[in-house]
Amino acid sequence: MKTEELLITAAQAQLALPAEEEGRLAAAVTEMLDYFAKMSEVDVENLEPTTHALIRDNALRADNSNPNNKFNNNQEALIERAPESNNNFIIIPNVL
Amino acid sequence: MKKIKDYQSKDVQSYLSQVKDNDKDIGAFLEFNDSAEASDIEGTLSSVPFGVKDNIAVEGMHLTCGSKMLENFVSPYDATAVKKLKEAGAICLGKTNLDEFGMGSSTDNSALGVTNNPWDTSRVCGGSSGGSAAAVAAGMVPFALGTDTGGSIRQPASFCGVYGLKPTYGVVSRFGLVAYASSLEVCGILADSVDTTRTVFETIKGKDVNDQTSIDHIPASPEAKTIAVLSGDLGLSPEVEAAYKKAAEAYKEKGFSIIETTLPMLDYGIAAYYTIAMGEASANLARYNGVRYGHRSKDASNFEDLVQKSRDEGFGDEVKLRILLGTYVLRSGFQDQYYTRAQKIRTAVRNEFDSVFEKADLIMLPAFPTQAFVHGDSSLDQFQQKLADKFTVAANLAGVPSMSVPVSVENGLPVGMQLMGPVFSEERIFRAAEVLAEVLPPAACPGKMEVC
Repeated sequence: MKTEELLITAAQAQLALPAEEEGRLAAAVTEMLDYFAKMSEVDVENLEPTTHALIRDNALRADNSNPNNKFNNNQEALIERAPESNNNFIIIPNVL
Repeated sequence: MKKIKDYQSKDVQSYLSQVKDNDKDIGAFLEFNDSAEASDIEGTLSSVPFGVKDNIAVEGMHLTCGSKMLENFVSPYDATAVKKLKEAGAICLGKTNLDEFGMGSSTDNSALGVTNNPWDTSRVCGGSSGGSAAAVAAGMVPFALGTDTGGSIRQPASFCGVYGLKPTYGVVSRFGLVAYASSLEVCGILADSVDTTRTVFETIKGKDVNDQTSIDHIPASPEAKTIAVLSGDLGLSPEVEAAYKKAAEAYKEKGFSIIETTLPMLDYGIAAYYTIAMGEASANLARYNGVRYGHRSKDASNFEDLVQKSRDEGFGDEVKLRILLGTYVLRSGFQDQYYTRAQKIRTAVRNEFDSVFEKADLIMLPAFPTQAFVHGDSSLDQFQQKLADKFTVAANLAGVPSMSVPVSVENGLPVGMQLMGPVFSEERIFRAAEVLAEVLPPAACPGKMEVC
């Protein structure tokens, strides 16, 4: 993979790659992509894609709050996991 | 051999201090549960200690995934499997080491600690559920939870000489398991006996309202008479080859019919598996952006910078590689070439298994082409390790259950074989593993903890 392609992919993956990592990662990505090319040897003409290993039915539940979910009305437990928060708000750098 | 009841402890703290001492040379655990105490609940698992791979949530304990990204994250709840074990009286003794986010075959990809193989501390314990396998092999716990996306329970089980069950996809809830490749991964068990594996499996299985992909277990026939083995040159080390033959001979001795077969799609399974796993990983790991939880870069000037730098600083090399590849194969214009093709090959793998299961009740395969390798072995780099997953990834692609069973000790190191069956055939696998243990009883790891 060319460095340019790697950087486009990295931007889409929201990864800032230090310049010294670019060459090594590009080589490792290329090694795997070359290996993935092996898949072109298989005749997939009449095969449907399998998206999931084993799904019997569509598991749905009523759109009600779950009384077993201990986080109902307890957002604090989750917000306090944020790296920076204040008064029930998560703080991030200015976006404007 | 120790039975599960031998582990039942009324003085958990005293036991824990012995385990801590024992773990100094192994490094199986990333965190111990210092508030662990005996349970009043009656039952087989009452006051039995267990380990939990550190990508499965235990309330009040860290959930690091072996990553700097989540090094300081403490789980606010229990995974369903953990909750069910606690309700049965079992005691979580600690969180075990793993390859970062489950990505690797040695546990050397953990950013937070090194785990050695209890059989030979210069060697790896396998991965990614390596800490769980090492903790069981060393006798610190009779069982530990692990996860298996492409062999992450079965390969370390083989390297450490313990049992390792990857259940049928969906039969054990994934609620509380940190997502890596959702269509492939399962929560499973590493244990020191078939009976313990069975007891734990019966405890943790079942449909869960919190996991949309979970399903009820509808047991398949437990009987097995015919076992398929692979013919031809499989590229196995002489030790693994010898163990494969011993296991087949043992089954013949016990009256099983052994038939030879081939699975040509195994050669393509690796490429399909990694395409799918990395694609799903790139989506699942997009949530780590330094905002709501996890590592946040200290020198970000704006929001975009915050996300990109937090991810660069928080993720290790192998994780970045997989995110990049996953993002690439899902990019517009490349999907048919990679992801969709991989999903079609997945169908071909399933069809191949279905046709073998028409003539055999189980398939026996090696777990890995070699025994445990030495830390940093240059002949088995990250790419070579991926190719060596060829015998394990197929069960994940097909969603079928498979258990690594200790077969023999060759040159001082254990070798395990997988017993693989159709969906819901866990009991069939357990019974066949018990038959094998009658002929080839599993050896205890030298120095295994005996006291309790």
